[in-house]
Amino acid sequence: MTYSIIARCPNTGRFGVCTTTFSLACGRRNESLRPNVGVSKSQAFYLRRVDPFALNMLAQGHTPAHIARLLEVDDPDFEYRQFGIIDRESNVFAYTGPKIGQWAGQKTGPYYAAYGNGLAGPETVEGIVSGFLSDPDAPLEERLLRGIEGGRDAGGQRSNGRHRPERSAWLRVVDRLDWPQFDLRVDMHDKTVAELRRIFEEFKRYSDYYQQTSREPGKAQPEELVVAALSAA
Amino acid sequence: MTYSVIARCPRTGRLGIGTASYTMAIGAHCDGAVRPNVGVTITQGFPLPRNNRLAVNLLAQGYTPSQVMAELAANDSDHEFRQIAVIDREGAGVAHTGSKVRPVCAQRVGSGFVALGTMLASEKVLDALVAGFEADKHLDLEDRLLAALEHGRDAGGLKGSKGALKERSVALIIWDKRDYSDLDLRVDLKDDAIAELRRIYIDFKPTGAYYEERARHPRNAIPAMEFADMLKGQQKETS
Repeated sequence: MTYSIIARCPNTGRFGVCTTTFSLACGRRNESLRPNVGVSKSQAFYLRRVDPFALNMLAQGHTPAHIARLLEVDDPDFEYRQFGIIDRESNVFAYTGPKIGQWAGQKTGPYYAAYGNGLAGPETVEGIVSGFLSDPDAPLEERLLRGIEGGRDAGGQRSNGRHRPERSAWLRVVDRLDWPQFDLRVDMHDKTVAELRRIFEEFKRYSDYYQQTSREPGKAQPEELVVAALSAA
Repeated sequence: MTYSVIARCPRTGRLGIGTASYTMAIGAHCDGAVRPNVGVTITQGFPLPRNNRLAVNLLAQGYTPSQVMAELAANDSDHEFRQIAVIDREGAGVAHTGSKVRPVCAQRVGSGFVALGTMLASEKVLDALVAGFEADKHLDLEDRLLAALEHGRDAGGLKGSKGALKERSVALIIWDKRDYSDLDLRVDLKDDAIAELRRIYIDFKPTGAYYEERARHPRNAIPAMEFADMLKGQQKETS
């Protein structure tokens, strides 16, 4: 059980993912995004090799829909998989296999895909989409996180009639550089989406400072003093 | 305000990083820092994100670690603010601690590993990192790296201008032969981050093989919730 939203920002071309799940450390899947190439996030009975493969195919010029066919012919258990792929032209493809079990579904838009399995029902996917669309002018990282918060608030995950807690969460956004602009994780927590929000809000306050420590180290204040000043403010 | 060990496992060739910091989300700084069968690197102190891929790309082209370090120096007008380590696929390592990195800072280059740190309580922290890493060479690389961080913390950890600093973020990263990580666990912002990472590691470790097997043979897979309940039962029995 997992639910995710992937998107290409229509304003900036940045790619991002936000995801949450019952299993631990979902954010270890950092092979799922490549700047100016695309995003491919597989889940349910996922094979780790699928995302790097899909990104390699995107980099060669294949479309998401064609890559889905390539994955299908090479996988006897394709009907157990769920994934979404978006390329740099904002072509979106998502697939939810019929054999995943529990409730699974997806919803795609012109530059995003929301999908999940082991969910309370379609309301979780609807919640993700309405959270994501709630403020189109917000930066992509904020929109993605609102998407997952929307999914959680709409009922999140359920299996065998019981709500299943989200225990790990991940937010990653890449711009044009090789390394991510945002990459924040909660690997195991009872209220993992709220914890990710806490870390995200805290991280944003320091992102300019962190850039300065890298680019102008001679001018950077000691970090512990910056933290003390911001905490007091 | 960061201490780390990067290493190549002499038995398996796996490459890994264990790092703990006062800075939040230190694991995000390790992006691109490991490439299977090529090498592993880290830049801390005042970090420089582009160094990771540059160092690994140069190793892949055949540069030795010391040549790589010379290139990183030549490519960065603020090289004296960086603390850097590089290890190649043969386990050869080099380290650099710039003259403007905040004290106490130190480095140790061993066989198949480099330990390095900035803003330490004392140099003893670095000795403890090495002792923790070397304590049991038969363990898996992830266990050795985590033990190193725990020893470093217990020897005093980090210190800033106003006294001791907490480790607030940790990352434990291992790559084997595949083009994605073998293990990648993080704590991004929490007091006692190393203890929290140990807690996550204990719960995560038995699940790795389960999720791989379940993806390869989904038809026969035990449902995830059932597996989680089984694990919980086992943990109760053993505790």
